Amino acid sequence: MPTLSETQRLLWQLITAPEGVAAALAADADRGGGLTAALRRTVRDHPPLAAAQRVDVYANMYFFRVLDVLKEEYAATHALLGEVAFHNLVTDYLLRHPPAHFSIREAGRHLPEALVGHGAVAAHPCAADLARYERALNDAFDAAAAPVLQPAALAAIPQERWPGLRFALHPSVRLLACGWPVDALRATVDRGEAAVDPPPAGIQLCVWRQDLTVFHRRLDAEELAALEAIERGASFAEVCLAASAGTPAENAAARLAGALARWLADGWIAEPTPSV
Amino acid sequence: MLAGFPALGTGVGLRPPHYAHVLETWPAIDWFEVISENFLVAGGRPLHVLERVRADYPVVLHGVSLSIGSVDPLDGDYLDRLRALAQRIEPAWISDHLCWTGVGGHTVHDLLPLPYTEEALDHVSERVRRVQDCLGRRIALENVSSYLAYCDSALSEWDFLAAVAERADCAILLDVNNVFVSAFNHGFDPWAYLAAVPTDRVVQFHLAGHSDHGTHLLDTHDHPVRDEVWALYAAAVRRFGAQSTLIEWDDQIPAFDRLHAEARHAAMVAEAACHADPVGDSTAPLAAHHRA
Repeated sequence: MPTLSETQRLLWQLITAPEGVAAALAADADRGGGLTAALRRTVRDHPPLAAAQRVDVYANMYFFRVLDVLKEEYAATHALLGEVAFHNLVTDYLLRHPPAHFSIREAGRHLPEALVGHGAVAAHPCAADLARYERALNDAFDAAAAPVLQPAALAAIPQERWPGLRFALHPSVRLLACGWPVDALRATVDRGEAAVDPPPAGIQLCVWRQDLTVFHRRLDAEELAALEAIERGASFAEVCLAASAGTPAENAAARLAGALARWLADGWIAEPTPSV
Repeated sequence: MLAGFPALGTGVGLRPPHYAHVLETWPAIDWFEVISENFLVAGGRPLHVLERVRADYPVVLHGVSLSIGSVDPLDGDYLDRLRALAQRIEPAWISDHLCWTGVGGHTVHDLLPLPYTEEALDHVSERVRRVQDCLGRRIALENVSSYLAYCDSALSEWDFLAAVAERADCAILLDVNNVFVSAFNHGFDPWAYLAAVPTDRVVQFHLAGHSDHGTHLLDTHDHPVRDEVWALYAAAVRRFGAQSTLIEWDDQIPAFDRLHAEARHAAMVAEAACHADPVGDSTAPLAAHHRA
Protein backbone atom coordinates (compact mmCIF):
# COMPACT_ATOMS: atom_id res chain seq x y z
CA MET A 1 0.00 0.00 0.00
CA PRO A 2 1.53 3.36 -1.00
CA THR A 3 2.01 5.91 1.76
CA LEU A 4 0.17 9.21 1.66
CA SER A 5 3.41 10.88 0.63
CA GLU A 6 4.01 8.41 -2.20
CA THR A 7 0.43 8.84 -3.39
CA GLN A 8 0.68 12.62 -3.50
CA ARG A 9 4.07 12.65 -5.22
CA LEU A 10 2.86 10.22 -7.87
CA LEU A 11 -0.21 12.29 -8.64
CA TRP A 12 1.82 15.50 -8.72
CA GLN A 13 4.19 13.94 -11.24
CA LEU A 14 1.36 12.78 -13.48
CA ILE A 15 -0.84 15.87 -13.21
CA THR A 16 2.02 18.20 -14.12
CA ALA A 17 3.44 16.05 -16.92
CA PRO A 18 3.84 18.51 -19.82
CA GLU A 19 2.36 16.32 -22.54
CA GLY A 20 -0.42 14.84 -20.43
CA VAL A 21 -0.84 11.67 -18.41
CA ALA A 22 -1.05 9.25 -21.35
CA ALA A 23 2.18 10.55 -22.86
CA ALA A 24 3.93 10.40 -19.50
CA LEU A 25 2.88 6.79 -19.05
CA ALA A 26 3.90 5.90 -22.60
CA ALA A 27 7.33 7.38 -22.03
CA ASP A 28 7.50 5.54 -18.73
CA ALA A 29 6.74 2.25 -20.46
CA ASP A 30 9.93 2.68 -22.46
CA ARG A 31 11.82 3.08 -19.20
CA GLY A 32 10.42 -0.03 -17.53
CA GLY A 33 6.93 1.00 -16.50
CA GLY A 34 7.52 1.88 -12.85
CA LEU A 35 5.16 4.85 -13.04
CA THR A 36 2.44 2.74 -14.61
CA ALA A 37 2.77 0.11 -11.90
CA ALA A 38 2.62 2.76 -9.21
CA LEU A 39 -0.52 4.23 -10.76
CA ARG A 40 -2.10 0.77 -10.85
CA ARG A 41 -1.38 0.33 -7.14
CA THR A 42 -2.74 3.77 -6.28
CA VAL A 43 -5.75 4.83 -8.37
CA ARG A 44 -8.75 2.67 -9.13
CA ASP A 45 -9.86 1.85 -12.63
CA HIS A 46 -13.56 2.45 -12.58
CA PRO A 47 -15.49 2.15 -15.85
CA PRO A 48 -16.07 4.04 -17.98
CA LEU A 49 -12.78 5.75 -17.07
CA ALA A 50 -9.45 4.06 -16.46
CA ALA A 51 -7.19 5.30 -13.71
CA ALA A 52 -5.01 7.27 -16.12
CA GLN A 53 -8.06 9.00 -17.62
CA ARG A 54 -9.23 9.95 -14.15
CA VAL A 55 -5.88 11.52 -13.32
CA ASP A 56 -5.98 13.25 -16.69
CA VAL A 57 -9.15 15.09 -15.63
CA TYR A 58 -7.03 16.80 -12.98
CA ALA A 59 -4.11 17.32 -15.35
CA ASN A 60 -6.28 19.19 -17.82
CA MET A 61 -7.85 21.32 -15.13
CA TYR A 62 -4.40 22.17 -13.73
CA PHE A 63 -3.06 23.40 -17.03
CA PHE A 64 -6.13 25.25 -18.23
CA ARG A 65 -6.80 26.88 -14.86
CA VAL A 66 -3.31 28.41 -14.82
CA LEU A 67 -3.50 29.22 -18.53
CA ASP A 68 -6.76 31.12 -18.03
CA VAL A 69 -5.29 33.17 -15.20
CA LEU A 70 -2.19 34.02 -17.21
CA LYS A 71 -4.30 35.02 -20.21
CA GLU A 72 -6.14 37.44 -17.97
CA GLU A 73 -3.09 38.83 -16.21
CA TYR A 74 -1.04 39.13 -19.40
CA ALA A 75 -3.89 40.02 -21.73
CA ALA A 76 -1.82 42.05 -24.19
CA THR A 77 1.07 39.56 -24.19
CA HIS A 78 -1.46 36.84 -24.98
CA ALA A 79 -2.99 38.92 -27.75
CA LEU A 80 0.42 39.68 -29.24
CA LEU A 81 1.72 36.10 -29.21
CA GLY A 82 -1.54 34.49 -30.27
CA GLU A 83 -3.32 31.46 -28.85
CA VAL A 84 -0.91 28.71 -29.90
CA ALA A 85 2.32 30.48 -29.04
CA PHE A 86 0.97 31.59 -25.67
CA HIS A 87 -0.25 28.07 -24.92
CA ASN A 88 3.20 26.68 -25.73
CA LEU A 89 4.85 29.41 -23.70
CA VAL A 90 2.77 28.50 -20.64
CA THR A 91 3.55 24.81 -21.14
CA ASP A 92 7.28 25.58 -21.04
CA TYR A 93 6.82 28.07 -18.25
CA LEU A 94 5.03 25.64 -15.93
CA LEU A 95 7.88 23.16 -16.31
CA ARG A 96 10.37 25.75 -15.07
CA HIS A 97 8.09 27.57 -12.64
CA PRO A 98 5.40 25.28 -11.26
CA PRO A 99 3.03 27.22 -8.98
CA ALA A 100 4.32 27.43 -5.44
CA HIS A 101 2.22 30.17 -3.88
CA PHE A 102 -1.19 29.81 -2.27
CA SER A 103 -2.59 32.49 -4.58
CA ILE A 104 -3.04 31.53 -8.21
CA ARG A 105 -2.47 35.19 -9.08
CA GLU A 106 1.19 34.54 -8.21
CA ALA A 107 1.43 31.66 -10.69
CA GLY A 108 2.56 33.99 -13.47
CA ARG A 109 5.02 36.08 -11.46
CA HIS A 110 8.06 34.80 -13.38
CA LEU A 111 6.54 34.89 -16.86
CA PRO A 112 8.37 38.09 -17.90
CA GLU A 113 11.74 36.51 -17.04
CA ALA A 114 10.72 33.28 -18.76
CA LEU A 115 10.05 35.23 -21.95
CA VAL A 116 13.63 36.52 -22.13
CA GLY A 117 15.39 34.30 -24.60
CA HIS A 118 12.30 32.18 -25.19
CA GLY A 119 11.51 31.21 -28.75
CA ALA A 120 8.25 33.15 -28.59
CA VAL A 121 10.23 36.38 -28.37
CA ALA A 122 12.02 35.79 -31.67
CA ALA A 123 8.92 36.85 -33.58
CA HIS A 124 7.81 39.39 -30.97
CA PRO A 125 10.90 41.02 -29.44
CA CYS A 126 8.82 43.41 -27.33
CA ALA A 127 6.97 40.57 -25.56
CA ALA A 128 9.23 40.39 -22.49
CA ASP A 129 8.96 44.14 -21.91
CA LEU A 130 5.21 44.01 -22.47
CA ALA A 131 4.88 41.21 -19.91
CA ARG A 132 6.99 43.19 -17.41
CA TYR A 133 4.67 46.15 -17.86
CA GLU A 134 1.57 44.00 -17.37
CA ARG A 135 3.11 42.45 -14.25
CA ALA A 136 3.69 45.96 -12.89
CA LEU A 137 0.03 46.84 -13.51
CA ASN A 138 -1.05 43.68 -11.66
CA ASP A 139 1.30 44.32 -8.76
CA ALA A 140 0.19 47.93 -8.35
CA PHE A 141 -3.45 46.81 -8.27
CA ASP A 142 -3.25 45.18 -4.85
CA ALA A 143 -0.03 46.62 -3.42
CA ALA A 144 -0.15 47.90 0.14
CA ALA A 145 -1.82 51.20 0.85
CA ALA A 146 0.31 53.82 2.57
CA PRO A 147 -0.12 57.45 3.59
CA VAL A 148 1.47 59.78 1.06
CA LEU A 149 3.71 62.72 1.85
CA GLN A 150 1.75 65.97 1.79
CA PRO A 151 3.30 69.11 0.21
CA ALA A 152 2.71 71.09 3.40
CA ALA A 153 4.65 68.53 5.43
CA LEU A 154 7.55 68.74 3.00
CA ALA A 155 7.50 72.54 2.96
CA ALA A 156 7.81 72.57 6.73
CA ILE A 157 11.19 70.81 6.60
CA PRO A 158 14.03 73.35 7.02
CA GLN A 159 16.05 73.92 3.86
CA GLU A 160 19.33 72.90 5.47
CA ARG A 161 17.94 69.41 6.05
CA TRP A 162 17.01 68.81 2.39
CA PRO A 163 20.33 67.37 1.20
CA GLY A 164 20.03 64.61 3.78
CA LEU A 165 16.36 63.83 3.22
CA ARG A 166 15.58 60.26 2.24
CA PHE A 167 12.25 59.81 0.56
CA ALA A 168 10.48 56.49 0.05
CA LEU A 169 8.31 55.52 -2.90
CA HIS A 170 4.71 54.52 -2.32
CA PRO A 171 4.48 50.68 -2.17
CA SER A 172 2.49 50.58 -5.41
CA VAL A 173 5.10 52.42 -7.51
CA ARG A 174 6.83 50.32 -10.16
CA LEU A 175 9.58 51.77 -12.40
CA LEU A 176 10.43 50.30 -15.78
CA ALA A 177 12.79 51.03 -18.63
CA CYS A 178 11.55 49.37 -21.82
CA GLY A 179 12.85 49.08 -25.35
CA TRP A 180 9.41 49.34 -26.93
CA PRO A 181 6.32 51.51 -26.35
CA VAL A 182 4.52 48.75 -24.49
CA ASP A 183 2.10 51.12 -22.77
CA ALA A 184 0.65 52.09 -26.15
CA LEU A 185 0.51 48.44 -27.20
CA ARG A 186 -1.42 47.48 -24.07
CA ALA A 187 -3.80 50.41 -24.63
CA THR A 188 -4.39 49.15 -28.18
CA VAL A 189 -5.40 45.73 -26.83
CA ASP A 190 -7.57 47.31 -24.11
CA ARG A 191 -9.49 49.11 -26.87
CA GLY A 192 -10.16 45.77 -28.52
CA GLU A 193 -7.86 46.40 -31.45
CA ALA A 194 -5.35 43.95 -32.89
CA ALA A 195 -1.96 43.71 -31.20
CA VAL A 196 0.80 44.56 -33.67
CA ASP A 197 4.51 44.66 -32.85
CA PRO A 198 5.58 48.29 -32.59
CA PRO A 199 8.96 49.50 -33.81
CA PRO A 200 11.57 49.76 -31.07
CA ALA A 201 11.56 52.99 -29.07
CA GLY A 202 13.07 53.28 -25.62
CA ILE A 203 10.65 54.52 -22.95
CA GLN A 204 10.65 54.83 -19.18
CA LEU A 205 7.50 54.22 -17.20
CA CYS A 206 6.10 54.66 -13.75
CA VAL A 207 3.10 52.49 -12.79
CA TRP A 208 1.28 53.28 -9.58
CA ARG A 209 -2.05 53.16 -7.80
CA GLN A 210 -3.77 56.22 -6.43
CA ASP A 211 -6.69 55.36 -4.17
CA LEU A 212 -8.10 52.33 -6.01
CA THR A 213 -7.12 53.14 -9.59
CA VAL A 214 -3.91 52.03 -11.35
CA PHE A 215 -2.20 54.64 -13.54
CA HIS A 216 0.94 54.82 -15.63
CA ARG A 217 2.98 57.72 -16.94
CA ARG A 218 6.04 57.99 -19.13
CA LEU A 219 9.15 59.49 -17.57
CA ASP A 220 12.23 61.07 -19.08
CA ALA A 221 15.55 59.38 -18.36
CA GLU A 222 16.51 61.96 -15.75
CA GLU A 223 13.27 61.49 -13.82
CA LEU A 224 13.66 57.71 -13.90
CA ALA A 225 17.24 57.98 -12.59
CA ALA A 226 16.03 60.17 -9.71
CA LEU A 227 13.19 57.82 -8.81
CA GLU A 228 15.46 54.79 -8.99
CA ALA A 229 17.86 56.56 -6.62
CA ILE A 230 14.98 57.16 -4.20
CA GLU A 231 14.04 53.51 -4.53
CA ARG A 232 17.61 52.59 -3.52
CA GLY A 233 17.30 54.77 -0.41
CA ALA A 234 19.57 57.60 -1.58
CA SER A 235 19.58 61.02 0.10
CA PHE A 236 18.10 63.96 -1.79
CA ALA A 237 21.63 65.19 -2.55
CA GLU A 238 22.43 61.79 -4.06
CA VAL A 239 19.15 61.81 -5.96
CA CYS A 240 20.13 65.17 -7.49
CA LEU A 241 23.47 63.74 -8.51
CA ALA A 242 21.87 60.64 -10.03
CA ALA A 243 19.52 62.81 -12.05
CA SER A 244 22.06 65.38 -13.14
CA ALA A 245 23.49 63.20 -15.92
CA GLY A 246 26.38 65.58 -16.61
CA THR A 247 24.48 68.80 -16.11
CA PRO A 248 25.26 71.08 -13.18
CA ALA A 249 23.80 69.72 -9.96
CA GLU A 250 22.03 72.98 -9.14
CA ASN A 251 20.15 72.80 -12.44
CA ALA A 252 19.17 69.21 -11.66
CA ALA A 253 18.00 70.27 -8.21
CA ALA A 254 15.78 72.95 -9.70
CA ARG A 255 14.28 70.53 -12.20
CA LEU A 256 13.83 67.93 -9.51
CA ALA A 257 11.96 70.42 -7.35
CA GLY A 258 9.42 70.72 -10.14
CA ALA A 259 9.25 66.96 -10.60
CA LEU A 260 8.90 66.43 -6.87
CA ALA A 261 5.79 68.61 -6.79
CA ARG A 262 4.20 66.36 -9.37
CA TRP A 263 5.29 63.17 -7.60
CA LEU A 264 3.64 64.45 -4.45
CA ALA A 265 0.46 65.32 -6.31
CA ASP A 266 0.38 61.85 -7.87
CA GLY A 267 1.01 60.15 -4.54
CA TRP A 268 4.34 58.54 -5.50
CA ILE A 269 6.13 59.55 -2.29
CA ALA A 270 5.18 57.82 0.94
CA GLU A 271 4.84 59.63 4.21
CA PRO A 272 8.30 60.14 5.68
CA THR A 273 9.82 57.67 8.05
CA PRO A 274 11.01 59.10 11.39
CA SER A 275 14.53 59.55 9.98
CA VAL A 276 13.34 62.02 7.31
CA MET B 1 -25.84 23.53 16.07
CA LEU B 2 -22.13 23.91 16.83
CA ALA B 3 -21.21 27.06 18.69
CA GLY B 4 -19.68 29.74 16.47
CA PHE B 5 -21.78 29.04 13.40
CA PRO B 6 -24.91 31.20 13.47
CA ALA B 7 -27.72 30.59 10.99
CA LEU B 8 -27.13 33.22 8.31
CA GLY B 9 -29.90 32.34 5.86
CA THR B 10 -29.16 32.16 2.13
CA GLY B 11 -26.19 33.90 0.54
CA VAL B 12 -24.12 34.00 -2.60
CA GLY B 13 -20.43 34.00 -3.41
CA LEU B 14 -19.16 37.54 -3.91
CA ARG B 15 -17.21 37.71 -7.16
CA PRO B 16 -15.47 40.65 -8.91
CA PRO B 17 -18.05 41.07 -11.74
CA HIS B 18 -20.65 41.88 -9.07
CA TYR B 19 -18.61 44.26 -6.90
CA ALA B 20 -19.99 47.43 -8.46
CA HIS B 21 -23.58 46.18 -8.46
CA VAL B 22 -23.44 45.18 -4.80
CA LEU B 23 -21.86 48.47 -3.72
CA GLU B 24 -24.39 50.49 -5.71
CA THR B 25 -27.59 48.60 -4.91
CA TRP B 26 -26.91 46.86 -1.56
CA PRO B 27 -29.14 43.92 -2.54
CA ALA B 28 -31.38 42.21 0.01
CA ILE B 29 -29.20 39.14 0.38
CA ASP B 30 -28.59 37.47 3.74
CA TRP B 31 -24.82 37.07 3.53
CA PHE B 32 -21.80 36.74 1.27
CA GLU B 33 -19.02 34.22 1.07
CA VAL B 34 -15.65 35.24 -0.39
CA ILE B 35 -12.63 33.25 -1.52
CA SER B 36 -10.10 33.96 1.22
CA GLU B 37 -7.04 33.89 -1.04
CA ASN B 38 -8.37 36.75 -3.18
CA PHE B 39 -8.14 39.01 -0.15
CA LEU B 40 -4.83 37.88 1.35
CA VAL B 41 -3.22 40.86 -0.34
CA ALA B 42 -1.59 44.00 0.95
CA GLY B 43 -4.17 46.53 -0.24
CA GLY B 44 -6.13 47.89 -3.17
CA ARG B 45 -9.65 47.47 -4.45
CA PRO B 46 -10.38 43.88 -3.31
CA LEU B 47 -9.85 44.66 0.37
CA HIS B 48 -11.67 47.98 0.03
CA VAL B 49 -14.70 46.21 -1.45
CA LEU B 50 -14.63 43.48 1.18
CA GLU B 51 -14.54 45.96 4.05
CA ARG B 52 -17.44 47.93 2.62
CA VAL B 53 -19.50 44.79 2.06
CA ARG B 54 -18.65 43.50 5.51
CA ALA B 55 -19.97 46.71 7.04
CA ASP B 56 -23.47 45.75 5.87
CA TYR B 57 -23.49 41.94 5.55
CA PRO B 58 -22.21 38.86 7.36
CA VAL B 59 -19.22 37.45 5.47
CA VAL B 60 -17.71 33.97 5.51
CA LEU B 61 -14.08 33.36 4.47
CA HIS B 62 -13.91 30.29 2.25
CA GLY B 63 -10.41 29.12 1.38
CA VAL B 64 -9.07 26.93 -1.40
CA SER B 65 -5.39 26.70 -0.45
CA LEU B 66 -5.18 25.43 3.11
CA SER B 67 -4.20 22.02 1.69
CA ILE B 68 -5.09 20.37 4.94
CA GLY B 69 -4.33 16.89 3.60
CA SER B 70 -0.93 17.57 2.06
CA VAL B 71 2.13 15.87 3.49
CA ASP B 72 3.90 19.23 3.15
CA PRO B 73 4.15 21.31 6.33
CA LEU B 74 1.27 23.72 6.91
CA ASP B 75 1.99 27.07 5.28
CA GLY B 76 2.69 29.39 8.22
CA ASP B 77 2.67 32.51 6.07
CA TYR B 78 -0.74 31.58 4.68
CA LEU B 79 -2.15 30.96 8.15
CA ASP B 80 -0.70 34.21 9.49
CA ARG B 81 -2.29 36.15 6.67
CA LEU B 82 -5.60 34.35 7.06
CA ARG B 83 -5.65 35.07 10.77
CA ALA B 84 -4.87 38.74 10.11
CA LEU B 85 -7.65 38.95 7.52
CA ALA B 86 -10.06 37.35 9.97
CA GLN B 87 -9.12 39.89 12.63
CA ARG B 88 -9.67 42.65 10.10
CA ILE B 89 -13.09 41.66 8.78
CA GLU B 90 -14.46 39.42 11.55
CA PRO B 91 -16.04 36.71 9.37
CA ALA B 92 -18.95 34.65 10.64
CA TRP B 93 -16.58 31.68 10.23
CA ILE B 94 -13.73 30.30 8.15
CA SER B 95 -13.95 27.26 5.92
CA ASP B 96 -11.79 25.28 3.50
CA HIS B 97 -11.79 21.85 1.86
CA LEU B 98 -11.06 18.31 2.95
CA CYS B 99 -8.40 17.74 0.33
CA TRP B 100 -4.80 18.37 -0.63
CA THR B 101 -3.70 20.88 -3.26
CA GLY B 102 -0.01 20.19 -3.74
CA VAL B 103 3.18 18.59 -2.51
CA GLY B 104 6.91 19.23 -2.57
CA GLY B 105 6.40 22.96 -2.15
CA HIS B 106 4.23 23.21 -5.26
CA THR B 107 0.50 23.47 -5.84
CA VAL B 108 -1.82 22.46 -8.66
CA HIS B 109 -4.47 24.94 -7.47
CA ASP B 110 -7.02 22.16 -7.38
CA LEU B 111 -8.86 20.24 -4.69
CA LEU B 112 -7.50 16.70 -4.82
CA PRO B 113 -9.20 13.93 -2.87
CA LEU B 114 -7.44 12.02 -0.12
CA PRO B 115 -7.22 8.27 0.23
CA TYR B 116 -9.65 7.36 2.97
CA THR B 117 -7.18 5.54 5.17
CA GLU B 118 -6.25 5.58 8.84
CA GLU B 119 -2.97 7.24 7.92
CA ALA B 120 -4.76 10.10 6.16
CA LEU B 121 -7.32 10.34 8.94
CA ASP B 122 -4.63 10.76 11.61
CA HIS B 123 -2.69 13.19 9.45
CA VAL B 124 -5.63 15.43 8.60
CA SER B 125 -7.22 15.41 12.04
CA GLU B 126 -4.00 16.51 13.71
CA ARG B 127 -3.51 19.31 11.18
CA VAL B 128 -7.07 20.56 11.53
CA ARG B 129 -6.55 20.86 15.27
CA ARG B 130 -3.34 22.84 14.69
CA VAL B 131 -5.08 25.15 12.23
CA GLN B 132 -7.93 25.73 14.66
CA ASP B 133 -5.44 26.51 17.43
CA CYS B 134 -3.65 28.95 15.14
CA LEU B 135 -6.84 30.70 14.05
CA GLY B 136 -8.35 30.57 17.51
CA ARG B 137 -11.63 29.20 16.20
CA ARG B 138 -13.30 26.07 14.91
CA ILE B 139 -13.27 25.81 11.10
CA ALA B 140 -15.64 24.10 8.69
CA LEU B 141 -14.33 21.59 6.14
CA GLU B 142 -16.08 20.95 2.84
CA ASN B 143 -16.41 17.66 0.98
CA VAL B 144 -14.94 18.03 -2.52
CA SER B 145 -16.05 16.79 -5.90
CA SER B 146 -13.70 14.07 -7.05
CA TYR B 147 -12.87 12.29 -10.28
CA LEU B 148 -10.62 9.54 -8.96
CA ALA B 149 -10.63 7.12 -6.03
CA TYR B 150 -7.75 5.28 -4.41
CA CYS B 151 -7.14 1.54 -4.26
CA ASP B 152 -6.28 1.62 -0.58
CA SER B 153 -9.27 3.59 0.71
CA ALA B 154 -10.62 1.55 3.59
CA LEU B 155 -13.38 3.98 4.52
CA SER B 156 -16.19 5.51 2.53
CA GLU B 157 -15.88 9.24 1.85
CA TRP B 158 -18.74 10.02 4.23
CA ASP B 159 -17.25 7.94 7.04
CA PHE B 160 -13.91 9.65 6.53
CA LEU B 161 -15.54 13.08 6.60
CA ALA B 162 -17.45 12.24 9.76
CA ALA B 163 -14.36 10.80 11.44
CA VAL B 164 -12.25 13.89 10.66
CA ALA B 165 -14.97 16.18 12.02
CA GLU B 166 -15.22 14.10 15.18
CA ARG B 167 -11.50 13.66 15.83
CA ALA B 168 -10.59 17.26 15.01
CA ASP B 169 -13.75 18.72 16.52
CA CYS B 170 -14.41 20.77 13.40
CA ALA B 171 -17.58 21.59 11.51
CA ILE B 172 -18.75 20.30 8.14
CA LEU B 173 -19.64 22.43 5.16
CA LEU B 174 -21.73 20.00 3.15
CA ASP B 175 -21.53 20.76 -0.56
CA VAL B 176 -24.64 19.07 -1.89
CA ASN B 177 -23.59 19.42 -5.51
CA ASN B 178 -20.24 17.81 -4.68
CA VAL B 179 -22.02 14.87 -3.10
CA PHE B 180 -24.06 14.47 -6.27
CA VAL B 181 -21.07 14.84 -8.62
CA SER B 182 -18.89 12.39 -6.68
CA ALA B 183 -21.77 9.93 -6.35
CA PHE B 184 -22.12 9.88 -10.13
CA ASN B 185 -18.37 9.68 -10.74
CA HIS B 186 -17.78 6.84 -8.29
CA GLY B 187 -21.10 5.04 -8.40
CA PHE B 188 -22.18 5.46 -4.81
CA ASP B 189 -25.56 6.40 -3.41
CA PRO B 190 -25.78 10.11 -2.54
CA TRP B 191 -28.68 9.44 -0.22
CA ALA B 192 -26.56 7.01 1.77
CA TYR B 193 -23.93 9.75 1.98
CA LEU B 194 -26.40 12.21 3.50
CA ALA B 195 -27.72 9.59 5.88
CA ALA B 196 -24.25 8.86 7.24
CA VAL B 197 -23.06 12.42 7.89
CA PRO B 198 -23.51 13.39 11.55
CA THR B 199 -26.31 15.91 11.98
CA ASP B 200 -24.55 17.83 14.74
CA ARG B 201 -21.52 18.76 12.59
CA VAL B 202 -23.10 20.26 9.47
CA VAL B 203 -23.22 24.06 9.69
CA GLN B 204 -23.48 25.13 6.07
CA PHE B 205 -24.56 23.93 2.63
CA HIS B 206 -23.05 24.76 -0.73
CA LEU B 207 -25.07 24.60 -3.94
CA ALA B 208 -23.69 24.99 -7.46
CA GLY B 209 -24.12 23.84 -11.02
CA HIS B 210 -22.05 21.14 -12.66
CA SER B 211 -21.44 20.06 -16.24
CA ASP B 212 -22.04 16.63 -17.71
CA HIS B 213 -19.15 15.19 -19.74
CA GLY B 214 -20.85 11.90 -20.44
CA THR B 215 -18.33 9.70 -18.70
CA HIS B 216 -18.18 11.96 -15.66
CA LEU B 217 -19.62 15.10 -14.10
CA LEU B 218 -17.41 18.13 -13.50
CA ASP B 219 -17.96 20.57 -10.68
CA THR B 220 -17.70 23.63 -12.89
CA HIS B 221 -19.86 26.19 -11.04
CA ASP B 222 -20.97 27.50 -14.41
CA HIS B 223 -24.62 26.43 -14.53
CA PRO B 224 -27.75 26.84 -12.46
CA VAL B 225 -28.24 24.22 -9.77
CA ARG B 226 -29.59 21.06 -11.41
CA ASP B 227 -32.99 19.66 -10.46
CA GLU B 228 -31.44 16.50 -9.04
CA VAL B 229 -29.26 18.59 -6.74
CA TRP B 230 -32.25 20.63 -5.58
CA ALA B 231 -33.90 17.36 -4.61
CA LEU B 232 -30.82 16.29 -2.68
CA TYR B 233 -30.66 19.71 -1.03
CA ALA B 234 -34.26 19.40 0.17
CA ALA B 235 -33.35 16.06 1.71
CA ALA B 236 -30.27 17.61 3.32
CA VAL B 237 -32.39 20.38 4.86
CA ARG B 238 -34.79 17.80 6.24
CA ARG B 239 -31.91 15.89 7.83
CA PHE B 240 -29.59 18.70 8.97
CA GLY B 241 -32.03 21.59 9.35
CA ALA B 242 -32.08 24.89 7.48
CA GLN B 243 -28.36 25.57 7.79
CA SER B 244 -26.78 28.59 6.16
CA THR B 245 -26.84 28.02 2.42
CA LEU B 246 -24.60 29.48 -0.26
CA ILE B 247 -24.94 29.57 -4.05
CA GLU B 248 -21.57 29.31 -5.83
CA TRP B 249 -21.25 30.53 -9.42
CA ASP B 250 -17.66 31.02 -10.59
CA ASP B 251 -17.64 30.68 -14.36
CA GLN B 252 -20.01 32.04 -17.01
CA ILE B 253 -21.09 34.29 -14.15
CA PRO B 254 -24.57 35.70 -14.81
CA ALA B 255 -25.97 39.08 -13.83
CA PHE B 256 -26.32 39.46 -10.09
CA ASP B 257 -30.11 39.35 -10.30
CA ARG B 258 -29.95 35.85 -11.80
CA LEU B 259 -27.67 34.71 -9.00
CA HIS B 260 -29.93 36.36 -6.47
CA ALA B 261 -32.92 34.52 -7.94
CA GLU B 262 -31.06 31.23 -7.45
CA ALA B 263 -30.51 32.15 -3.79
CA ARG B 264 -34.20 32.99 -3.36
CA HIS B 265 -35.08 29.64 -4.89
CA ALA B 266 -32.80 27.91 -2.41
CA ALA B 267 -34.60 29.69 0.42
CA MET B 268 -37.95 28.50 -0.95
CA VAL B 269 -36.74 24.91 -1.28
CA ALA B 270 -35.41 25.01 2.28
CA GLU B 271 -38.63 26.49 3.59
CA ALA B 272 -40.71 23.83 1.83
CA ALA B 273 -38.38 21.07 3.03
CA CYS B 274 -38.68 22.22 6.63
CA HIS B 275 -42.44 21.74 6.42
CA ALA B 276 -42.46 18.59 4.31
CA ASP B 277 -43.18 15.02 5.24
CA PRO B 278 -39.88 13.86 6.82
CA VAL B 279 -39.99 10.59 4.84
CA GLY B 280 -39.60 12.54 1.63
CA ASP B 281 -40.37 11.39 -1.87
CA SER B 282 -37.80 13.16 -4.02
CA THR B 283 -35.41 10.35 -4.83
CA ALA B 284 -36.86 9.64 -8.27
CA PRO B 285 -35.14 12.41 -10.27
CA LEU B 286 -31.80 11.54 -8.72
CA ALA B 287 -32.15 7.82 -9.28
CA ALA B 288 -32.85 8.48 -12.95
CA HIS B 289 -29.56 10.34 -13.28
CA HIS B 290 -27.50 8.13 -11.06
CA ARG B 291 -25.26 5.61 -12.77
CA ALA B 292 -25.19 2.28 -10.97
